[in-house]
Amino acid sequence: MARRASVFAALLVALALATVASLAFGAIKVPFSEVIEIVFGNGPGGPDQQIVEALRLPRTVEALLVGAALGIAGAILQGALGNPLASPDVIGVTGGAGFGAILIIILFPGSIALLPIGALCFGLLAATLVFLFAWSGRNRGSATKVILAGIAMLSLFTAGTTGLLAAFPERAPSAIFFIAGGLTSSGWEQLETIWPYFAVGFVLALLLIRPLDRLALGDDVAASLGSKPQLIRLGAGIAAALLAAASAAIAGLLGFLGLVVPHVVRMAGGSSSHAYVVPASAIGGAALLAAGDTLARTLRAPIEMPVGPFMVLLGVPLFLWLLRKAV
Amino acid sequence: MAADATAVPLLDAEAVEVEIGGTQILRGADLRLGRGELVAIVGPNGAGKSTLVRAVAGLQNPSAGKVLWGGRLLSGIRGREFSRLRAFVPQRMPVPAGVTVREAVTIGRSSHLRMLGRLTAADRAAVDAAIERTEVGRFAERALTTLSGGELQRVQIAIGLAQEAPVLIADEPTSQLDLGATIGVAGLLRGLADDGLTVLLVVHDLALALAVADTVVVVSAGRTVAAGPPAAVLTPERLAEVWGADARLSEHDGRTALHVAWIDGPAALRAP
Repeated sequence: MARRASVFAALLVALALATVASLAFGAIKVPFSEVIEIVFGNGPGGPDQQIVEALRLPRTVEALLVGAALGIAGAILQGALGNPLASPDVIGVTGGAGFGAILIIILFPGSIALLPIGALCFGLLAATLVFLFAWSGRNRGSATKVILAGIAMLSLFTAGTTGLLAAFPERAPSAIFFIAGGLTSSGWEQLETIWPYFAVGFVLALLLIRPLDRLALGDDVAASLGSKPQLIRLGAGIAAALLAAASAAIAGLLGFLGLVVPHVVRMAGGSSSHAYVVPASAIGGAALLAAGDTLARTLRAPIEMPVGPFMVLLGVPLFLWLLRKAV
Repeated sequence: MAADATAVPLLDAEAVEVEIGGTQILRGADLRLGRGELVAIVGPNGAGKSTLVRAVAGLQNPSAGKVLWGGRLLSGIRGREFSRLRAFVPQRMPVPAGVTVREAVTIGRSSHLRMLGRLTAADRAAVDAAIERTEVGRFAERALTTLSGGELQRVQIAIGLAQEAPVLIADEPTSQLDLGATIGVAGLLRGLADDGLTVLLVVHDLALALAVADTVVVVSAGRTVAAGPPAAVLTPERLAEVWGADARLSEHDGRTALHVAWIDGPAALRAP
């Protein structure tokens, strides 16, 4: 318990630091003290305040939301499917979202504003197809069936994406930023459309915490306690699909975060109780993405690099270091 | 032992049939449970013992027949309510990493909690009582992954007890345990029945069934073929008929044994 509490405290400190850094750093540096004044509503005004409020605040909120959403999506999928390799990739969302985004880039190059909608719709479509196949015939709703249907759907949509890019190579450069995964400073506009998907996903995930703990002791124990294992898996799949598709709509393909953050959290806290893993993955994912995004746009400012590769650079060493000590 | 005959039985299952993937597993099984009774289901491999307990426990949908819990049809009882009527202890649950014994037993209490509600003092007391009754207290803070098979089986029973249901159903609780651990778990289950809990077990070991059960139910080829006090049901004739074995059970001073003609049984019983 003490270990979990200290991991939580460390994550919260990391989250606070990453948030302030994300608001302070960029092409123009704003002092930390000023950032804190602006956030609490007594800023000095002037261009610094405008930069923070109009550009960096929405971007930081996006980073925190997407990071939390992907952390949670990974945590509940790994719990629901009883598989450490589960991530939003595994239920087809990432593949579908990638295909949807590239389709918009190629078919409607003039309406790039549609890209988040394309990613969202195709991400959810892919997940729906996975659930339809996994919930038909014998052994409906078994973890193995979900994973196999998901991998098949991922391959299908990835092939579609690659095919489109090969057929229209001149559009590939604009697609790369999305595929690598990255945030933009485009104000609140995207969040205004996408936030309900995050909201429903977060609420569902909260309700799933206790059922997922039951499922960890096996389908039979969950059934003994009055739960329906297939229904828990379906609920977790829907929540993860909403969170991951909404994340892809805003920040492209950052599937790695959803895979790694829950593992880091479990290994660091020595616990896989979902009442700990789900919120800790949310905080950890948010901190990691905000930190990664800050690095991605400051290292070679004013050139912005996609955050995906940076997050991997931050996350993989930590992951491997913890993995060394894990059983 | 058996409940008084006029009362509605806790469980009354009649002519239960189960079909899994086009294969008929149960072809007509009956089962009754009275209060405070320890009932052992015995039978050869593949006879349908586990399927029968899963069907009455609501883990497997019957394709025909009827299952009544306290006079009510199983199909009309909702999950949360059902969790207060019976607890099901699987043969071997998956052992997740990073979950302690106490956390696992607390999960066993979760069907008593409201959605997003916290544990009340009564819930904590039920968890503590389950831990104490199964004697898992000295390793309550250890991770499940560090336990032996016998310790884990006790924890599984504790998870079931935390449900505080009047019936505990366990599928082959001792089949993977060594002799000492089997004695410990069998004694625990018998003690629970003596304290008034109704216990339904699938048991492989006939000598063990004779020692602990009030009633044995014999399942053969998907049907229940006999039910009654163990000594009356597990006769040499039935062992020959159902298991194809030249064997007899004996009881002396509370010790039971199964005597088997391992090699040279009568020619009539051997495979042609």
